Amino acid sequence: MNPFQYATATTPDEAISLVGKNGRYLGGGIDLLDEMKAYILSPDVLVDVKSVNPLLGGKANPIVFVGHTGVPGSSVCNLESSVTIAQMASDANLQKYYPGLVEAASEVGSPQIRNVATLAGNLLQHSRCWYYRQPDIVCLKRGGNTCFAQEGENKYSSLFSGCACISPVVSNLAVILTALDAWINIRSKGKDQKISVDMLYHSAWHEPFAHNSLKAETFLTGVSLHTQRNRSAYRQISEKSSFDWALVSCAAAGNVANGKITDARVVLGAVAPVPYMVKEANDFLEGKPLTDETASKAADIILKDAKPLAQNGYKVPLAHTLIRRTLLALNS
Amino acid sequence: MKPKTPASASALDRRSFLKGIGTSAVAVASVQVGAMADEINKAAPAPALQGPGAVPVSLTINGEKKDFQLEPRVTLLDALRYFSPLTGTKEVCDRATCGACSVLIDGKLTYSCMKLAIDAQGHEITTIEGLAKDGQLTPVQQAFIDCDALMCGFCTPGMVLATTALLAENPKPTVDDVKRACSGNLCRCGTYPHILNAALKASGQAVTETVTVIHHGSVA
Repeated sequence: MNPFQYATATTPDEAISLVGKNGRYLGGGIDLLDEMKAYILSPDVLVDVKSVNPLLGGKANPIVFVGHTGVPGSSVCNLESSVTIAQMASDANLQKYYPGLVEAASEVGSPQIRNVATLAGNLLQHSRCWYYRQPDIVCLKRGGNTCFAQEGENKYSSLFSGCACISPVVSNLAVILTALDAWINIRSKGKDQKISVDMLYHSAWHEPFAHNSLKAETFLTGVSLHTQRNRSAYRQISEKSSFDWALVSCAAAGNVANGKITDARVVLGAVAPVPYMVKEANDFLEGKPLTDETASKAADIILKDAKPLAQNGYKVPLAHTLIRRTLLALNS
Repeated sequence: MKPKTPASASALDRRSFLKGIGTSAVAVASVQVGAMADEINKAAPAPALQGPGAVPVSLTINGEKKDFQLEPRVTLLDALRYFSPLTGTKEVCDRATCGACSVLIDGKLTYSCMKLAIDAQGHEITTIEGLAKDGQLTPVQQAFIDCDALMCGFCTPGMVLATTALLAENPKPTVDDVKRACSGNLCRCGTYPHILNAALKASGQAVTETVTVIHHGSVA
């Protein structure tokens, strides 16, 4: 790592002013220090933001249910940006009302990573493409001219992309939070804003250099869940049974009553630079019973525009299976 | 990177300078005092930027407070191994992958290679050296010996701490609990079945004759 200055912030505005143009926010540090050790990033200052707790005003629990009605799925929940993955994975209320979120958190990394990695860090982590992570190569995402994965080793690459970079989003939480219609709270230029998860990532779909849409002088303050859905699930398939990235992940949410689903959301991860959702599939599922047949049709719709490369064609049947599994998991 | 002027140093000097002369300037015309107060207020909110050179870092390791002079970029792992004699914590991948560098921070299992030492201040750090008290091994350490749960021994400090962290939260873990708790630690010699048995033994449970460590997942 190159030398840098270090500071601690206690408010979002303080963090924004300290981080400046070439600094980075430090949460758990898992992704950040990895890039710094590879000299992919050399920030001039790291600002520890683990004490920035804007949503809760210093309450002990970084996960807070507000205006909770007692009806499953009808709660409003605020998650602090610095909440750790381990805290999310073991929270009884989240387990009760957003089981898919707990399932997604439980699959992140290893115990050591979950103990320190934060919600914001998981959402804003950078590409895992091995061409991007290789210090001696300047790929398209790093400002070069070529996406080497297009013609190279593309086993883990995307099936869908709106630009020449085909490195997929790898955040588990991005996938489930998209399915839950979560709001991302950000602070920028002295103002608080709420954006959708789709907005948080949309730049990565179009722009090869982008990992997300957040611009400089912005701070992600937390995530709010307002969804009224009674069921959610997250499933992933990896090469290892634990401590591994998803080859494909899938999150689904909806209201299931009398064997039928309404307000369905189905989202794929690790197949596109953004959490991949097809509105047509959600609309197709509206009012339908969750059977292998309907789930299969939804999967067909979601995957119809897939553009497999030389080595990642296996992701198509894998995703098909996973969509079916995840949707059927909403039945129970 | 281009070296930055240490803003903290200049801000601090400026502030202490102004405060210093402020106290001796009580008798100065009020207009001047007011101007000076403005200057102090301007300087005061500057938050401390530390480094990039070595700065004082105070860590509580195995119950003892230790003072270091470290650049902010020094990891906790390097602080332990190179700036203090605690080499029980091992360096292998240095990338949050192998678990050899695992320590407990406030009881939570953590990769010390991905934790900046400066960021570990104010927390209780426990390394492998901090487990045995007065030469008396902990049940986990003893179980590792009894179950022959090590070959080359390089992953052992991390494995022992992973098992210790597990048993502190879950005193009677199942086989799957142990596998999950140790999933962030790699053993290149492949002693996983013995490590699993050591965890069961340390928790007072029967060890298993044969252990399937690898799951072959199926895709329906």
